[in-house]
Amino acid sequence: MELTAQALFTGLLMGGFYGLIAVGLALVFGTMKVINLAHGELVLLAAYIAYALESQTGLNPMLSLPIAMAVVIVAALVTFYLTNQIKKDRELNSLILTFGLGIVLTNGLLMVFSADIYSTQSSWFMEGVVIADSLFSMRSEMIAFIVGIAALGGLYWWLNHTWHGRAIRSVSSNRDAAKLMGMNPTKAELWSWGVAGVLAALAGVMLYVTSVIHPPVGHSLTIKAFVITVLAGMGSIPGVLVGAIMIGVIEGLTTTYFQSSLAELASMTVFLLVLLVMPSGLFGKKGAH
Amino acid sequence: MLKVEDLSVSFGGVRALQNVNFEVHKHEVLGLVGPNGAGKTTSFNVLSGVVKPVSGTVTYDGHDILKSSMHQRVTYGIGRTFQIPQPMHELTVRENLIVAQRFGRPDGKVKQDRIDEILESVNLSHKSESDAATELALTERKALEVAKALATEPTLLMLDEVLAGLETTSKKLFMETLKKIRKQYNLSMIVIEHDIETIMNMCDRVVVFNFGQVIAEGDPEETFRNPEVVRSYTGEVLA
Repeated sequence: MELTAQALFTGLLMGGFYGLIAVGLALVFGTMKVINLAHGELVLLAAYIAYALESQTGLNPMLSLPIAMAVVIVAALVTFYLTNQIKKDRELNSLILTFGLGIVLTNGLLMVFSADIYSTQSSWFMEGVVIADSLFSMRSEMIAFIVGIAALGGLYWWLNHTWHGRAIRSVSSNRDAAKLMGMNPTKAELWSWGVAGVLAALAGVMLYVTSVIHPPVGHSLTIKAFVITVLAGMGSIPGVLVGAIMIGVIEGLTTTYFQSSLAELASMTVFLLVLLVMPSGLFGKKGAH
Repeated sequence: MLKVEDLSVSFGGVRALQNVNFEVHKHEVLGLVGPNGAGKTTSFNVLSGVVKPVSGTVTYDGHDILKSSMHQRVTYGIGRTFQIPQPMHELTVRENLIVAQRFGRPDGKVKQDRIDEILESVNLSHKSESDAATELALTERKALEVAKALATEPTLLMLDEVLAGLETTSKKLFMETLKKIRKQYNLSMIVIEHDIETIMNMCDRVVVFNFGQVIAEGDPEETFRNPEVVRSYTGEVLA
């Protein structure tokens, strides 16, 4: 019983963090119908900035966030600019473009930082936290979970209560109709890529303090983010949270009761089963485009 | 008010519009009629910015609108509905109108009383908090389509077969709503419609299209007696 509770708790924490990783990809897909296959690499870029600043200046990784955000926002906006240059079959051709950009970023990181594995040098993040006398986690996992939930909640609020957010939802819903309501879709898309950059930077710094980083990680982060986005129902923020927690809990239970190498197989199996029953994903609207 | 001069549109090798000319005067309701594929919706698509013409000019209240983007034209006062309603799936009915007011008006101000008034005009007050994608019937989705355009506070409203697909009673009620709206907001309108009775009932003047050309224009009753117009509807190819 205790073991199950611990597995569920760990899965929940992982889910919050996975949600943070996926939500930037979901936001851009929702607005522009572009699947950014370089999203994981943008997350990883932020993680390496945190590493570089910590190793060179001793800066606490959390304090590297503003610099990481600035760099990743610029990288996200460059990706947006390039994607926006595609005039024909943008949804399909952008897959090739962003996949290529991901490879460029991965190799850039490989050249600058080598293939070595890095993690934070601060032991503070690795210290244990005990909740309700029996549930254990690392301090960094708790922080990543809280940051993830706060970021998703903040994004949900922003999309629903600000004009930029409403514009993004409108463009996401129907681009031509949005233009006929006086909106400039390019502006809305620019905002969504910028915000996706902020979220990727947050996820990257959290990645660095909770886990280990090395160049190939970016690609697996993209796959994870993509799976969660599809599971959620393309573009749904509450769906991202539920989908991410679902994946996290399945991985937690599989690791506890079977073995960690089967965790991704189990989550992918459940992912496919859900899509079989609900082809639009958990929160996908039938009438939506 | 709106002046279309020598407008031509091509899709590949197909000429969809050939040297089309027409005008819409202030507070006038102009009907665009003609068989399917005659060029009516293409004209709408050019006026609203969905399609770029090969040649020609379109001026609206002194603006050369062909040089403006789709969203800029809305702020000049041109509103449009689509044949198939295009609600913002992610927003409620009221939010659809709020967004249209915020972005479609040059000053960007949202006037809640105006939104309430529009919702009442199109009989959607009781659905204001409903999900636009899943909770509206066809007539209500069509009403929302008109309401969205009205929320941008247009001076010219272009209605693309807004009554299509409605059964007789709903069609009559909807037509009365449109006539009421026209008076209430002092609108000029361009209406694409296949139903002759609707055109006779609503329009001050008609322009008849066939094979991408204007073949007649004038008073609806007289125009529909024109033998060339009758031939275009019975399928006879122009000599």
